[in-house]
Amino acid sequence: MTKEKKLSITIDNRKVAVKPNITILQAAREHNIYIPSLCTLEPLPSYGACRLCIVEVDGLRGFPTSCTTPVDDGMVVRTDTAEIRTLRQEVLKLLLSEHPASCLFCTEHDECKDYQGTIRKVGVTTGCRYCPNDSLCELQTITEKIGLTETSYPVYYRGFPVEKSDPFYDRDYNLCILCGRCVRVCNDIRMNGTLSFKERGKQTTIGAALDRTHLDAGCEFCGACVSVCPTGALSTKVSKWYGKPDGETKTTCVYCPVGCELLLQIKNNETIDVFPNYDSTIDQGLLCVKGRFAIPEYVASPERLATPQRMTPLGYEDISWDDAIDEAAEKLSGINPEDVLIVVSPQLTNEDLFVAERFARELIGTDQIMSVLITDMREETVSFLNLASASSPFNVIDTADTILTIGFDSTYGFTPIGIKIKKAAKAGVNLTTLSVHESNLDIVSGETFQMNVTKWPALLDSIMGKMPGNGKGTKLKPLNKVVVIGAEVIFSPKRGAVFEKIVEMKDRFGWKVIVAHPYTNLMGLLAMGAFPGIKRGEIVSDGTKSTGPAVEDPLSAMDLARHRKVVYLIGEVPFENLPECDFLIYQNALSVKSTRKPDLVLPSSLFTELSGTIISAEGRILPIRKATDPYGKSMPDWQIISKISEKIKSGALKYSSISAIQTDIKKQVKSLSDVKKRLEFRKISAKTSGKGRTGKRLSDPKSSRKPWEEKYRGIALKDVVSGMLVIEERRRHE
Amino acid sequence: METMRKFERVCEIVDRNGRNPSRLIPILQAVQAEYRYLPEEILTFVATSLGIPPARVFGVATFYSLFTLKPKGKYLIRICNGTACHVKGSMGLYKTLSDKLNLGDGRETSDDMLFTLETVNCLGACGLAPAMVINEEVFGQVTSQRAAAIIDEIITREAQYESDSSRIE
Ligand code: SF4
Ligand code: SF4
Ligand code: FES
Repeated sequence: MTKEKKLSITIDNRKVAVKPNITILQAAREHNIYIPSLCTLEPLPSYGACRLCIVEVDGLRGFPTSCTTPVDDGMVVRTDTAEIRTLRQEVLKLLLSEHPASCLFCTEHDECKDYQGTIRKVGVTTGCRYCPNDSLCELQTITEKIGLTETSYPVYYRGFPVEKSDPFYDRDYNLCILCGRCVRVCNDIRMNGTLSFKERGKQTTIGAALDRTHLDAGCEFCGACVSVCPTGALSTKVSKWYGKPDGETKTTCVYCPVGCELLLQIKNNETIDVFPNYDSTIDQGLLCVKGRFAIPEYVASPERLATPQRMTPLGYEDISWDDAIDEAAEKLSGINPEDVLIVVSPQLTNEDLFVAERFARELIGTDQIMSVLITDMREETVSFLNLASASSPFNVIDTADTILTIGFDSTYGFTPIGIKIKKAAKAGVNLTTLSVHESNLDIVSGETFQMNVTKWPALLDSIMGKMPGNGKGTKLKPLNKVVVIGAEVIFSPKRGAVFEKIVEMKDRFGWKVIVAHPYTNLMGLLAMGAFPGIKRGEIVSDGTKSTGPAVEDPLSAMDLARHRKVVYLIGEVPFENLPECDFLIYQNALSVKSTRKPDLVLPSSLFTELSGTIISAEGRILPIRKATDPYGKSMPDWQIISKISEKIKSGALKYSSISAIQTDIKKQVKSLSDVKKRLEFRKISAKTSGKGRTGKRLSDPKSSRKPWEEKYRGIALKDVVSGMLVIEERRRHE
Repeated sequence: METMRKFERVCEIVDRNGRNPSRLIPILQAVQAEYRYLPEEILTFVATSLGIPPARVFGVATFYSLFTLKPKGKYLIRICNGTACHVKGSMGLYKTLSDKLNLGDGRETSDDMLFTLETVNCLGACGLAPAMVINEEVFGQVTSQRAAAIIDEIITREAQYESDSSRIE
């Protein structure tokens, strides 16, 4: 690549070398020269609405806006002359003539901040709470920088009603300065197009088509507009009155296997809000509603378990950790392995799963590690696992020439994948969508098929038939064809036949596959061997050609109809599929309503309160970072398991820190030692045991009849996060 | 059935403009000429067939005062309220017509969908102040009495037309 020739320009008497094809504002920022600006925001396209970034340029008439004027060789720019300063003040005054200014020009402005929080004997108002954005507001900062301390214009209050009927965020367009950032982020970055300017003159506001609610207008509730708004016009319902966060922790979202980067906003040891990271190489900041809005309410739910509890004839009583551990150990020690069932969640961290797997196999001596994916996927478990572990990295979409989506909708999840597909389709890539209900991608697709799942295999056959070079056994040239499969097929009882076709597309015709499933750390679960018949590390490829493990049909191996002495649930709520048992240990973060009441309740910490790693659908090892202290007396799952083990057999599974576990993982699962590398997985084969099916078959578990819903650690998000209820209903109606 | 026919016409308009999103304004003009307003479902239809978000179409439709999202009467009366006309008493004129047609309080269209009464900011016919336009026809130096007479004339003509057409049937 040839190096771009730099241009030389002069800004405020300083000669600087700058890249071509950038704006004066960008050039100035690169050289730390401050130019006030309100409407510009990387990575949004320039817009030139606020007029605050005006500069003087020799040879150009008037005062061009630096955010829309490209640099040119030899340009001479002045950013801070007396004339510009007066002009900017004037522009700002006009801007503020339609914005309530009590937070900007108050005689108590500084004192107010200084004297807040003093303890007095009488009630006092400790500072006004007029705007949710106070102290975070870019308008406040700019007003200070421009040095405006009063305004000569009367403030025209537009009197728009505050819009509160949508979930997750409120809109008070009386505070809007019409910078258009939200419109641009929604249209250009999210490719969604919910928002637009409407009306004109002093009635101008932002809104959705036909004044619909955002829910009706197809909003994804990604909250991108809320994050970019420089004022308090758009604000998150749950966190709007918290004020400025006192910390930020970068972590990974655990709601789905994309593994988006999250910037947790922390205040007083609580996770109050979540921001996207536009620099992320995984998701480019394109969070979905779950990562953006469904975390604070979940981790601070009133249903959180704070202490261990034991069931007594009079109900639950709080007990100490020592007693709880004793009780669990007593029930489990010396038990016949046949009599125990251990259930793990695919949404646990690698470290939790590693310790849980060792606990099951080494301490108890059982291979029966159950997880919901077995009862969800039933007979198709193995083919599902193979599709999921053969998943390609998402950037294959960027270079694809043909994309097919099957039962996939990215409105409320998998948005980084959905937006990639939308971009590709807009750029002319051939997109076909196949679904039962409408998909949000239909609007950009070239061909749309809406039909029952039973008809899909035949359609897929014809799509394969149309492919070039479809001769029998002919070696195919590498193709850039990508198929993305989503919830509609994964959770359809008819998935088996569709899975078969997809395997054929992959193996015979070289299609790349992306599986948009909800089991966050599925790859970690398999890598740690927390699955019947799969040993620790066995499935992670080390580059050699060796084949993966052969497993018996997990559903029948699990034999869920057989009575157990102890069932130990770790972060999961599979009550409708549990075998009967004498003693039920429920280890999770939230309490649960069920007909089979747990005998012992152990409170787990959540992912914002602990450290660890997960393996994403792309095979990347991603970090979970601790942002706040554990809730109540809760502990990370691995720690609870390790404590129980210590009681059963001292020294057997003693871990006192996450790094000790990680060292062991690296020792035992060699391929995991290189965190940078994308992991590849081996193919699992189905073992056909001569014995035929053992045990009683589980007849039609309820979970496969119930419509699928977004869950975290077995608990439906809609039961914990108020806005998710609205989202879930909307999804069902479609 | 009715709606099917509706979309056929729009389809034609959109096609005639090469399904080109940058021809949104001429498309909306043609649609409005057809229906005398921009029905909601048509706006959504236009957006979908041009491959642009409905919000954008709505934004354009609400920006220009010539577009309307509410059904308008067969006769659109615009009274100029530019400076010259205002001084010459155009608001009195407005009051007369609004009383006569039983409008006001935000209601701009008569119940029989015959008349819509609006003010505009300047028709550029200041020499004729106060000026009034009914559909395409301009009336200058209108007095309240004359305005009332023009309206009466239209009402009679319409009634005549109605009875004529019923006789033909
Ligand atoms: S939440 Fe996202 S999709 Fe909805 S209006 Fe804002 S940017 Fe657009
Ligand atoms: S709502 Fe916020 S982001 Fe959108 S135009 Fe108004 S001030 Fe700008
Ligand atoms: S930043 Fe240039 S006009 Fe707003």
